[in-house]
Amino acid sequence: MTQPTDLRSGFEELALPLFEPLYNYARWLTHDPIEAEDLVQETYLKGLRGFGSFAPGTNFRAWMYRILRNTFLTSRSGLRAVPPVSIDEDPDTYEQLSVAETPESLFFARADSEMLRQTIEALPLPFREVLVLSDVENMSYREIAETLSIPIGTVTSRLIRARQKVRNTLRGDRCPDI
Amino acid sequence: MPRHLTAEEIEQYADGEAEADEHLQGCATCASAALSIMQMKRTLRAMPRFTPPAALRARVLGRPPRRSYAPRWLAAAAVLALVVAGGALWRTRDATASQLVDLHTTILASANPVDVLSTDRHTVKPWFEGKLPFAVDVPDLAQPFHLIGGRVIYWRGQQGAYLLIGKGAHRISLFVFITDAVPRAIESHAGMTIVVWRARGLAYVAVADVPPEDLQPLRQAFARD
Repeated sequence: MTQPTDLRSGFEELALPLFEPLYNYARWLTHDPIEAEDLVQETYLKGLRGFGSFAPGTNFRAWMYRILRNTFLTSRSGLRAVPPVSIDEDPDTYEQLSVAETPESLFFARADSEMLRQTIEALPLPFREVLVLSDVENMSYREIAETLSIPIGTVTSRLIRARQKVRNTLRGDRCPDI
Repeated sequence: MPRHLTAEEIEQYADGEAEADEHLQGCATCASAALSIMQMKRTLRAMPRFTPPAALRARVLGRPPRRSYAPRWLAAAAVLALVVAGGALWRTRDATASQLVDLHTTILASANPVDVLSTDRHTVKPWFEGKLPFAVDVPDLAQPFHLIGGRVIYWRGQQGAYLLIGKGAHRISLFVFITDAVPRAIESHAGMTIVVWRARGLAYVAVADVPPEDLQPLRQAFARD
């Protein structure tokens, strides 16, 4: 029988290193420092309470991120952030990849991080979170799929569209003539 | 002429989820599309991270991290490395190199690259105490190397020490991690030399735009007991 104190220290060992990344993710979700703090605090409480049901050997990081995200989604600002219709259903235009549009490299060489941050913050939640998990938190497709409880194919297509949106916005900002 | 890669394939390549070297070598169109994504990724990764306030740490974790935490942190780092390794395998080794080069570049480009600014190792070494789950050994550096300062960094969600070392006009980033998640060798990337070594349970990664042999004396200084 596992003692509660063992559980607690087991949880702390795994969860301590995630403190900074979870806060960073919370800020991206909430856009608000106070809300992010509350979210991280609640995530740790829930994580500790539910740690008995965590299957050892599975991905603890994805598990904690999932708790944080689900907590956010049921909060007031989280409910507002979720689009009313499924964003994966409309067949988007990315199939015919616009490979002709090449010199984006220039945009990213010049795009300063503040402008990029604002662009990503303005993305609808489903796009913002795949981008942040992949490119800021450096998660693999599989880990993102696990965190968001969506198929890997959906991760890929959302990433494609998220990046397209970022590109379009930055291009619009910088070169109104194009 | 073979077909172009699909949007998915290009995305997967840029994210290190699939190989497409063969096609990209012969197709400038797809290669440039992949490059564009990789540049966006790099810019995003180089963005400053949000750091939690100390009061939140105290509130959530009960107490500030102290040195006495070391054994616990050690275990945590080991467990975490195992947990993360599953996901990390999906990334190419090149991702490690580009992340570390990005960190190096970002820190050097910053107005305040270090949090403790001192050429004195007896100032820099104690500065890390209580901030990291391990002790950072800063040896006495002989010419042509000189210590500039240090700071705490995060890489793949793990804490590490960062030492900024000068060699003439060159700046060398030395990352110190406790984890085994650091590969035994990392190929040089984007014209930057990357040298990895291990000593006393820590992994050291030096990044600089100098030839590899120039970093060897540094390695010897840090690996010496």
